[in-house]
Amino acid sequence: MDEDVLTTLKILIIGESGVGKSSLLLRFTDDTFDPELAATIGVDFKVKTISVDGNKAKLAIWDTAGQERFRTLTPSYYRGAQGVILVYDVTRRDTFVKLDNWLNELETYCTRNDIVNMLVGNKIDKENREVDRNEGLKFARKHSMLFIEASAKTCDGVQCAFEELVEKIIQTPGLWESENQNKGVKLSHREEGQGGGACGGYCSVL
Amino acid sequence: MAADNEPESEVFEITDFTTASEWERFISKVEEVLNDWKLIGNSLGKPLEKGIFTSGTWEEKSDEISFADFKFSVTHHYLVQESTDKEGKELLEDVIPQSMQDLLCMNNDFPPRAHCLVRWYGLREFVVIAPAAHSDAVLSESKCNLLLSSVSIALGNTGCQVPLFVQIHHKWRRMYVGECQGPGVRTDFEMVHLRKVPNQYTHLSGLLDIFKSKIGCPLTPLPPVSIAIRFTYVLQDWQQYFWPQQPPDIDALVGGEVGGLEFGKLPFGACEDPISELHLATTWPHLTEGIIVDNDVYSDLDPIQAPHWSVRVRKAENPQCLLGDFVTEFFKICRRKESTDEILGRSAFEEEGKETADITHALSKLTEPASVPIHKLSVSNMVHTAKKKIRKHRGVEESPLNNDVLNTILLFLFPDAVSEKSLDGTASTDNNNPPSESEDYNLYNQFKSAPSDSLTYKLALCLCMINFYHGGLKGVAHLWQEFVLEMRFRWENNFLIPGLASGPPDLRCCLLHQKLQMLNCCIERKKARDEGKKTSASDVTNIYPGDAGKAGDQLVPDNLKETDKEKGEVGKSWDSWSDSEEEFFECLSDTEELKGNGQESGKKGGPKEMASLRPEGRLYQHGKLTLLHNGEPLYIPVTQEPAPMTEDLLEEQSEVLAKLGTSAEGAHLRARMQSACLLSDMESFKAANPGCSLEDFVRWYSPRDYIEEEVIDEKGNVVLKGELSARMKIPSNMWVEAWETAKPIPARRQRRLFDDTREAEKVLHYLAIQKPADLARHLLPCVIHAAVLKVKEEESLENISSVKKIIKQIISHSSKVLHFPNPEDKKLEEIIHQITNVEALIARARSLKAKFGTEKCEQEEEKEDLERFVSCLLEQPEVLVTGAGRGHAGRIIHKLFVNAQRAAAMTPPEEELKRMGSPEERRQNSVSDFPPPAGREFILRTTVPRPAPYSKALPQRMYSVLTKEDFRLAAPQVCPGRQLLPGAGIEANLQEKPTHSRHVEAAGRSPARIQLGCNGNNATKNP
Ligand SMILES: Nc1nc2c(ncn2[C@@H]2O[C@H](COP(=O)(O)OP(=O)(O)OP(=O)(O)O)[C@@H](O)[C@H]2O)c(=O)[nH]1
Ligand SMILES: [Mg+2]
Repeated sequence: MDEDVLTTLKILIIGESGVGKSSLLLRFTDDTFDPELAATIGVDFKVKTISVDGNKAKLAIWDTAGQERFRTLTPSYYRGAQGVILVYDVTRRDTFVKLDNWLNELETYCTRNDIVNMLVGNKIDKENREVDRNEGLKFARKHSMLFIEASAKTCDGVQCAFEELVEKIIQTPGLWESENQNKGVKLSHREEGQGGGACGGYCSVL
Repeated sequence: MAADNEPESEVFEITDFTTASEWERFISKVEEVLNDWKLIGNSLGKPLEKGIFTSGTWEEKSDEISFADFKFSVTHHYLVQESTDKEGKELLEDVIPQSMQDLLCMNNDFPPRAHCLVRWYGLREFVVIAPAAHSDAVLSESKCNLLLSSVSIALGNTGCQVPLFVQIHHKWRRMYVGECQGPGVRTDFEMVHLRKVPNQYTHLSGLLDIFKSKIGCPLTPLPPVSIAIRFTYVLQDWQQYFWPQQPPDIDALVGGEVGGLEFGKLPFGACEDPISELHLATTWPHLTEGIIVDNDVYSDLDPIQAPHWSVRVRKAENPQCLLGDFVTEFFKICRRKESTDEILGRSAFEEEGKETADITHALSKLTEPASVPIHKLSVSNMVHTAKKKIRKHRGVEESPLNNDVLNTILLFLFPDAVSEKSLDGTASTDNNNPPSESEDYNLYNQFKSAPSDSLTYKLALCLCMINFYHGGLKGVAHLWQEFVLEMRFRWENNFLIPGLASGPPDLRCCLLHQKLQMLNCCIERKKARDEGKKTSASDVTNIYPGDAGKAGDQLVPDNLKETDKEKGEVGKSWDSWSDSEEEFFECLSDTEELKGNGQESGKKGGPKEMASLRPEGRLYQHGKLTLLHNGEPLYIPVTQEPAPMTEDLLEEQSEVLAKLGTSAEGAHLRARMQSACLLSDMESFKAANPGCSLEDFVRWYSPRDYIEEEVIDEKGNVVLKGELSARMKIPSNMWVEAWETAKPIPARRQRRLFDDTREAEKVLHYLAIQKPADLARHLLPCVIHAAVLKVKEEESLENISSVKKIIKQIISHSSKVLHFPNPEDKKLEEIIHQITNVEALIARARSLKAKFGTEKCEQEEEKEDLERFVSCLLEQPEVLVTGAGRGHAGRIIHKLFVNAQRAAAMTPPEEELKRMGSPEERRQNSVSDFPPPAGREFILRTTVPRPAPYSKALPQRMYSVLTKEDFRLAAPQVCPGRQLLPGAGIEANLQEKPTHSRHVEAAGRSPARIQLGCNGNNATKNP
């Protein structure tokens, strides 16, 4: 089954503790919601193969702990990531306010500048919403991110979020290829064929 | 034939190609290609704008066809034009083909750079059939004829009006014959190429004679012939400007006078003049016959008088450039296979019986007392000891670096070794960094190199320089060996490594840099531990608290400074709380005990009931929180710092974690593996807060998992009621489990999370086994980084906008290449090549500026003009000289020629300047101002009716070029073609084949012109 996999993509989920990162991931990989999910320690890891536009991609997803104390470990996982999902909890404004810090971290530790970022506002099934959809939208626009609201509990938007992200990564040239070819600068185009005289090319009289 | 692409013929024709000859197949393939490329019919483009051949874009399309097993390439060359109504591509009756009309267009005579067929015939579009292999050639006359008849047939069959050429003879001769067919008209493109020039063709009047007889005009008098002439003069001898750029005097650099910074400077510039020739083209674009005289004995064509001057410069091909060489040579090390040992002689690293390579051995040393620190460290000292060690194994004369050089380099790398106060480690934190926000400074980020003020970067430059000037690979190996010894020395003696930002390894830098940072982290921790040990051991009774605090400040990196806040004094002796010190996180004196439970000092704290324990390892009191059970203030504990990691370790770790798989057990194991830090924090917390509970811990550690709600109690009061979040309450989840296991132990007595000893030995081992090739790969990004900065710096002096753009491209290209773990050599080479090109470009600009004396120019406006002129020379193939010979630039060019002529004639150079008077004076002088032209080009044109006076007037053109080596006459013969009558064979055309070539043949050449054979005729009668 791995044979027709186009590529393996490394994706990272970050955000404040308790916003539902692990729940979103579990929903995506196992299509379940487990209220008995323990707070993540360090990083966790899941794999899923999905197909977008007929392209199969294997996703290696790293779920990081939002807990402050574990954060010293996580920067390493930013390395080589092609996509990052930044999650906040729409029912807790403080998790939205902290997004700036996360972006800072992202900027500091990401090894590539063409990484695709997605902002996810989670827990929209809950009633006591504190962050308006438009605010999320505005934030995402300001920082050129993809944006979606979701609920790990009701499954809203989860599949879609991951698919969008993968699609975007695949569309970004040079991001999913291990090497990006033909981007070289051509400096020595048509150097003078002086004296050679084999005239398939362009030349001056002398 | 060719039926396969003419659908209507299918109706009646049985397409039987079983008997088709190779030749027929060839023709049909040519037709197929012409059809595929949609070159059928006539589409008239816009009249050619002035200079469009140069300013426009030329493109080409190629295909390969074969004649039997001989491969030909067919190439369509065309000037890209905005798509004028393409749909109007139907056959325009009675309009002569574009290419014939273009013969008369004078807007693009003498293009500076063009395909020779464009230069000769003024074509905007044509197709060439040439042998595919470069060395192949169509030589025999019969083969040439066969090809040309194929062309003729294919054109006739398809109705293609684009000229179709065949390249014959050896490619270097640039011999092309071709044909163009239009309604009622055809052109035979023929040419003559001779090695020796017949005398009568060296001047205009002779050429006019040929032209006139060639066109065989029936009218008298002849219509006027328009003439365009260009003479090109070459200047090779630049006289007063001699180039040789001195390679930097390296001995002066290491002589001791010059500071280390000088040593880090990169060489720059071309070693030879990167501008080899100047070509001056003097043009008379529009003359009519009779206006000027140019014959055997006299010529009006004085270059000074020419209305147009244009100049091009010929650049030296791949001039040797210092910076480029410098980087290239370094890059070459990447391919060397030898290990340091092999280069320097066996076992250079085995000093005094120490096996550095053997970690276990090295580790055992740790149980011995730490070596006595040398308080005044000096480089010469270090070098001396290192030398001695090496000398044991090989004679000192073998040492590729002499002492002076080595000393200078080590001083440059380790400036702290000289300064008195260096030993307290301030060297590593001094902040003389360039503005760290600047784009240049942050380049390391993009290149994954190292900051330009870092040790790693400097090391890269030094190795580069050693490789270039001081014994190549051997020198590199030697310096590296010294460097590794120095690293070990610093580790063993607790001297921080200078030139590295403190804190954990910066993952944005190259791995080697991270390794050095890692080593520094280890040294920091070890130093802190040893200092702490010393203090407590040497002074059990007391020490001034402030001193202890200060010591901590210097020893401990920012993140450990918490200890400072404990405002400590010395507690019990070292032994009292440890018997195997390596196991523990730190050994700073305990402070809490004296403050709170001084009387208990000296007692060993055995495990007691939590609540009755005295608190230990408090950092500070949490603002408002109190413990839930006993209402004591909640203290934040001193915790262990997480282990610093280099990217390879992280990679390893994440691989291990990923390998655990995605099952529940896997996830559990993964969490457990990462819970060391959590457990340690819990223990610290318990130690600092006797009587605490998990709820207390969570309120500090993960506040969102403690949920508080306002509830109304039985008395009707609103009270806050808190509880753990659902996920924390899950029975036996990892958090609960860890909490239950955690014992109240302060951080300093816990097992170390980070084993600095082991990690340091790992780093040192890693460094020791790096071969020069590995090293070069590690450091190449730094070298490229430095080279780019150098090029940038040099460019800023010259301010060349095109170079600015190229540098930007190089940066973005390099950052893409260098970010991948193992960039391909080819890509690295390309980057280096690009840098070299830019260097050559800058060197060229400098050379030209010197030659044209832009600096000497006093008038501001003239200077600006001249500078613009010079920069155009660099960027454009050919530059028009404003004012021709009379303009400012023109006068300078004139002078350059005069000087060269004078030198060639050995005239005393003094009077020349005075002599620059009137043109008359100049003319009288025996030495002419210009050498004989290296190239003379003539284009003659007219329109005449042929063959009879009442026939349609057709364009006629003749191009001739005369250089030292050869003479070429390209004269398309435009004549009324066959009427497209059925049965009108090629033979008819053949009979019309003009006799114009008689002149040429009379001149004694072997004709390259083709006479069509009769087999061409047979072809048309193909079944
Ligand atoms: N109602 C609702 N609850 C959710 C949703 N997603 C997660 N939760 C709950 O929010 C709590 C935290 O979810 P987690 O997935 O563990 O959060 P996390 O972001 O992984 O937290 P850390 O691992 O500490 O970084 C859990 O109790 C989940 O049951 C959601 O979409 N709706
Ligand atoms: Mg989680």
